[in-house]
Amino acid sequence: MKKISISFLALLLCVQFAAAQKVPVQEIVLDNGMRLLLVPRKGDPNVAAGWVARVGSVNERPGITGLSHLFEHMMFKGTHAIGTKDIAENLKLIKEMDDVRAELRKEQQTLILKARLGEISDSKDPRHRSERHNELLAKFEELTKREKDLMVKDEFDRIYTTAGGSGMNAGTSNDFTVYFINVPANKLELWFWMESDRLRNPVFREFYSERDVVHEERRLRTDSTPTGKFNEQYESMFWQSSPYGWPVVGWPSDLEGITREEALDYFAINYAPNNLTACLVGDVDPARAKELAQQYFGRLPRGPRPPEPVRTSEMPQLAEKRMVAWAETVPQARVRYHTVAEGHPDDFALEILGSLLSGRTGRLYKSLVLQQSVANSAGAGQDGRKYEGLFELTGVAKPGKTPEEVEQALYKEIERMQKELVDANELQKVKNQYAANNFRGIQSNFGLMVQLLLRDSNRGWETINTDPARHQAVTPEDVRRVANTYFKPENRTIAIYYTKKKADGAVEDPALAGLTDQEKAQIAQMKGTLSQAKAEQIKMMLSRFEQEAGSAPPDKQNFIKVVKKMLEDRLKQLEGGKQ
Amino acid sequence: MRNRLRNPHTNLRPLSALLALVLLTLSPTGVLTQTPQIPAHPRELKYTTLTYTPPKRDQYRHVLSNGVVAYLVEDHDLPLVNVSILVRTGSYLDPAGKEGLAALTGTQMRVGGTTSKTAEEFDEAADFLAANIINLIGPTQGNANLNLLAKDVDQGLALYFDMTKASIDGITREDMIAFHQRYYQPAGFIFAVSGDFKTKDMLAKLETATKGWLVNKQAVPAVPKPTNTLVAGVYAVHKGDVNQGRVSIGHTGALRDSPDAYALEIMNDILGGGGFTSRITSRVRSDEGLAYSAGSNFGLGVYYPGNFRASFQSKNPTTSQAIDIVMEEINRLRTTKVTNEELETAKNSAIEVFPRIFATAAQVASTFAQDEYTKRPADYWTTYRDRIRAITADDVQRVAQKYLQPDKLVVLVVGNIDEISKGNPDKPQYSLAKIAKDGQIRRIPLPDPLTLIYPSTP
Repeated sequence: MKKISISFLALLLCVQFAAAQKVPVQEIVLDNGMRLLLVPRKGDPNVAAGWVARVGSVNERPGITGLSHLFEHMMFKGTHAIGTKDIAENLKLIKEMDDVRAELRKEQQTLILKARLGEISDSKDPRHRSERHNELLAKFEELTKREKDLMVKDEFDRIYTTAGGSGMNAGTSNDFTVYFINVPANKLELWFWMESDRLRNPVFREFYSERDVVHEERRLRTDSTPTGKFNEQYESMFWQSSPYGWPVVGWPSDLEGITREEALDYFAINYAPNNLTACLVGDVDPARAKELAQQYFGRLPRGPRPPEPVRTSEMPQLAEKRMVAWAETVPQARVRYHTVAEGHPDDFALEILGSLLSGRTGRLYKSLVLQQSVANSAGAGQDGRKYEGLFELTGVAKPGKTPEEVEQALYKEIERMQKELVDANELQKVKNQYAANNFRGIQSNFGLMVQLLLRDSNRGWETINTDPARHQAVTPEDVRRVANTYFKPENRTIAIYYTKKKADGAVEDPALAGLTDQEKAQIAQMKGTLSQAKAEQIKMMLSRFEQEAGSAPPDKQNFIKVVKKMLEDRLKQLEGGKQ
Repeated sequence: MRNRLRNPHTNLRPLSALLALVLLTLSPTGVLTQTPQIPAHPRELKYTTLTYTPPKRDQYRHVLSNGVVAYLVEDHDLPLVNVSILVRTGSYLDPAGKEGLAALTGTQMRVGGTTSKTAEEFDEAADFLAANIINLIGPTQGNANLNLLAKDVDQGLALYFDMTKASIDGITREDMIAFHQRYYQPAGFIFAVSGDFKTKDMLAKLETATKGWLVNKQAVPAVPKPTNTLVAGVYAVHKGDVNQGRVSIGHTGALRDSPDAYALEIMNDILGGGGFTSRITSRVRSDEGLAYSAGSNFGLGVYYPGNFRASFQSKNPTTSQAIDIVMEEINRLRTTKVTNEELETAKNSAIEVFPRIFATAAQVASTFAQDEYTKRPADYWTTYRDRIRAITADDVQRVAQKYLQPDKLVVLVVGNIDEISKGNPDKPQYSLAKIAKDGQIRRIPLPDPLTLIYPSTP
């Protein structure tokens, strides 16, 4: 009884806070459809400035995956006025380069076909190139050099940097592409000049070397990280028909093939003002900003046709999907369910549900980490995107426990959510955190600017003021209902990670998951020694090992089994090499 | 096809100008004669002068009755409060053979519960208040931080001081208890508080919280100078399954309070610290497309010289080429003066960005508390911009010659060393072996990523 009244009081307070958070946004809609959001705030003489294009990898199609992101890079390459000594000559050169590229593509396609038919093993091996191919490459290199001579290097960056612009960057996600910077308050017109200029007359210089930069980015983020490649495949496995299945950075084959024409086509539709929102937060005079917006952004013509929403939606999943991976990471389990898109009424209940499970006082930590000692860490959360959504639970196995044990423990907690109503106090704790985090998220001008843009790229900026109340309104019954609606076995996709020892690229036996850290370290050390040992030495070790195995204590048997197998494998490898 | 695309593109200018004209004449507020011309290039834009005076340290400085310094900065925009304590301690005080004690004590204070609350009770209380409480001990400083809604400040402060003052229960090891008792006392504290409160009220709360707190008069030992010396050369860690080489190139940096610090800041900005306008980024990334991120940092240490470090990642065949470019750029700063344009870009940027240091109440409080902790000269911020303005191309070259030492560079490459060593068949002039002046590539084994244990050396 007492508990209820405290919670009720806290609830009242929260409702009061939710109502108190009213970000005063002034919205201006230009005649070409572009929107400008303004939030004047006191503080240092600076403005957080940015704009968002309502386009991301979800709007791509096979063949041009990664284009949204590549495009983001190209937007820093200058315009007709910025970045060149001679625009006429520059445009002529670009046309020549594109023509050579078109010829090169034909050569590459020939090689790709040969590789497909098994006539050559690698389409990229320079030895298979025709004479014509090499000529074209040389020609292209020469044109690249000429383009470089015409360029005013990184002028776009230099103008902003010299003027005191800071933190300039951009980001691409599945659903949006956002561009931002902080500028001194007296440089507001510069921002309007620069941004409207690159939206109006961009020139995609260094297009092909920038494609290489993006490829490096892919190597950095995806290929060279322990789980990057696996996570990418997991994502693709989870989505059947939805375009969320391909990575934002794009498939390598597409990255290598995207053309400047495709980039320009894409620009015409997706970067038209009717698909953009800009936002200024900080030391800004709204009247002046409005005037500048009309003057600068007002000159952008509407797109040839309005961008269309993504047509392909996800097929309902009919059967559980599972991926088992051996990666250079700790043993862990990920479980995902298809749920709802951002803004759906259930999105809020699912978010609350995720918070109830996560954190040091969340259910997963208490149960899986503290009580059952099955996991070292665990968490969960709803990821509502523009067109679809998912709920994911993860847990890292404690040494001696398997990822499957973690998986089962996660299901237990889901079951509890499906059967029992959450305690009012527990729910209130989570709601209090949402209330406080709402304020934390709008503390910095930059953070508020980005948040308004991302919200406006989907459901509208107003949701910054209306969403808090929707979180506060979630009831224990809502939580139980969504747990029952979405967390069904046939609706889930699981990723199981075992640890792969990387020293020699050997795949770790799943049995290794049962060993202690100390034993694993011993095995790692032994592998180093083994790599130096001769076959005869290994045979001796094996026979000694077999003699001693019988007298070892039972809790060491697992360890002995693993070591024995390692010795045998190495022996096989050595003897196999002789043949 | 291409023509069709590019023609409308070049035609955009007159077309959109016409459109804007029509729109302006149609819109009720748009009176054509009042519309200023849009200049052809931003260099023709005119800006109003922006005068900015940095906040004064003394304006926010308070001394509690027990001598503890507190910086308080009010900000009533949002109902949040942030409280920080800078604690004079650090992992440099770890006793020999007990490395890690400071860091462990820092963590344990936060997660180990207090005399009045178990660890779980403490977490529940903090989470219900939606209070973020962090306690950490770094190399030369301890930090205790509390962030919460202003309405909960009293309950939050009680938890926070309970943790800072009396979290003995959670610390079971004698060493940790001794470490905590020795350093976590008001004599070693500097407060930085910002947010939605009245300065008078907050001071009273801090007074109450620190009153009667055991004061140990023993002075905290000074941070010692590091004793290790760098051996120049190329070092390699083989990691067979990655397709990029990750490279760090560097040597010892300089002291923060050195008179050359300003010129070094500008020098590094031009070399690799200034983003796309800096040389390393421009050449390695945008010219050659060899890396996604490439740049440099010239570390200015408070107690001992920091590290100078240039770094990037590049695919295996081009790793050596990128190293070569970075080395070339390091050398070039010594042999050739930077251009006026580069110098002005770097200086202007530093001067124009300056007000951002004090952008929020929390930054004002923490900057001043940090300055006091590290004994920065009181006039540092008031003279900063003039000192930057005074830097010449000669200064940059002078500090480059003094502080960049190509002979002392340590080059560390992590990646598939076999593949990286093969280099690029199209560009045989670049090779890892050539970069090592002594021709020697020093191999370092890769520790097990899960246990961090090094394999026995073959």
